[in-house]
Amino acid sequence: MMIIDKLAYSSQLRYKSPFLKSAFAVGTLLICVAARSFVVSGIVLILMGCLTVFYSRTSLSHYIKLMTAPFAFLALGTIAIAVNYTSAPMDLISIPVGSHYLAVSVTSLTYAIRLIVVSIASISCLYFLTLTTPLLDLLAVLRRMHCPWIIIELMMLIYRYIFVLLDMALAITTAQNCRLGNRDAKTAIQAMGLMLSVLLVRALNKSSLLFDAMESRCYDGEIRVLNESNPSSIKEKTGVILFLVALLVVSVVCKSNGGI
Amino acid sequence: MKKTVVKAEKVCYTYDDGTQALKGIDLEIKQGEKIAIMGANGSGKSTFFLHLNGVMKPKSGVIYIDENPIDYSRKGLLEVRKKVGIVFQDPDNQLFSANVTQEISFGVLNLGFTEEEAKAKVEQVIEELNITEFKDKPTHFLSGGQKKRVAIADILVMNPEVIILDEPASALDPKHARMIDGIVDQLSEKGITVILSTHDVERALIWADRVILFHDGCVVGQGSPDEVFSNEELLARTNLEKPTVLRIFDRLCEVGILNRELPIPHKAEELEQYIIQSR
Repeated sequence: MMIIDKLAYSSQLRYKSPFLKSAFAVGTLLICVAARSFVVSGIVLILMGCLTVFYSRTSLSHYIKLMTAPFAFLALGTIAIAVNYTSAPMDLISIPVGSHYLAVSVTSLTYAIRLIVVSIASISCLYFLTLTTPLLDLLAVLRRMHCPWIIIELMMLIYRYIFVLLDMALAITTAQNCRLGNRDAKTAIQAMGLMLSVLLVRALNKSSLLFDAMESRCYDGEIRVLNESNPSSIKEKTGVILFLVALLVVSVVCKSNGGI
Repeated sequence: MKKTVVKAEKVCYTYDDGTQALKGIDLEIKQGEKIAIMGANGSGKSTFFLHLNGVMKPKSGVIYIDENPIDYSRKGLLEVRKKVGIVFQDPDNQLFSANVTQEISFGVLNLGFTEEEAKAKVEQVIEELNITEFKDKPTHFLSGGQKKRVAIADILVMNPEVIILDEPASALDPKHARMIDGIVDQLSEKGITVILSTHDVERALIWADRVILFHDGCVVGQGSPDEVFSNEELLARTNLEKPTVLRIFDRLCEVGILNRELPIPHKAEELEQYIIQSR
């Protein structure tokens, strides 16, 4: 989380318009999901992977590591789709279990693999967005899209205080370690419990102090702040639109060729 | 005669758990004064500060801002908070946004300025307090001194008549502490009344026009730094130590090396000069 945040701030695309980046990532994502095609997913995955690695100063190995986390979930999730529990054996693998079979057919396997590929490609779109755009810029996009202000304000405060509370948790844990608070499993669990309870109390305390500080600056229930974002150039806009149209054409072609 | 910007009259406050934080504070602060408020932790300084812009309301007693008692209606409070700003001790309790510009713009926009006006004011303050070099960093990557500068900018941008700084130099390294001292001087030069709480007697001796001592929810003494810091009994009562410069000066007068008629030195350099001249 911290690393993703750091990368987003040091990305070379940081100062590009968040609207453009969102349109690019979300547009590609939508086409990719709608097309459900191996070719389109492949194109998207490679393109987004290259862009992210190139512009966000992530190393390739680190990027692959980031990808493995959702991949593990996907693999587990799609097993249930590939494997069927049926009364008749199927064409690829069939393992008899009592009177039924645990069976995999070519169709179900293709379906599962297709799902994994499309999902990974979609995730690459989201990684592109999160690794090049700091969260606050994304909030500006949400605001423009008329997302309810209460959600935006909550996101803003939560984002800021994740770091404050994380620092506090680390400091408490370090202090516990210094006094051998984590020397075995039992003390580790105890120490964790203590840390969390202290953290909760401090978080509540901090929230009341923060409220006082905001009140002193005439807070009246709505957080009004300046939103600055760099506008995108016509060239960038046209680039993104052309890319999306091209991708759309490719997906239509793929669809009409039997959904490769 | 300068006008009285802040006046407290028999201000008392008791927390819900029964702790009597303020036990009848009487104070008057004139426009443009440099006030150092000193006293042990828990002596009621921070609680008193929150009373000065209406975040807390006294259980009894009255606070006057610009000679008018604070009106605790929505509109009245807006007026008071526009005049009196507080820079809190821990910037992490004050900075709510991860973006420096957004953070600073919050107060001005609440005062009802348009986005353009607010933007101009924010930019001016960023320039004034040398925030430019880190204004594009998220607040969680800033150092303590940088966060403190943003916290001061938060308030300065609202253009208040009175700025209260709650232990601004605490938890800062000497270099950043001096930088904050410089900013505080800058505020005074602009004619802003500065109320500052500190434990640093040397700093109070050099900087303040008036030192006010808090003890156990009461004002136990006040006056020019020279008066307050030569009152041994008062200092002992409030757990403060006499500034080193004064201690050495006193001792040198006692043993006859320096003359008591000399004006009381505030800085180490002044004392140095006296000693060099006496030889």
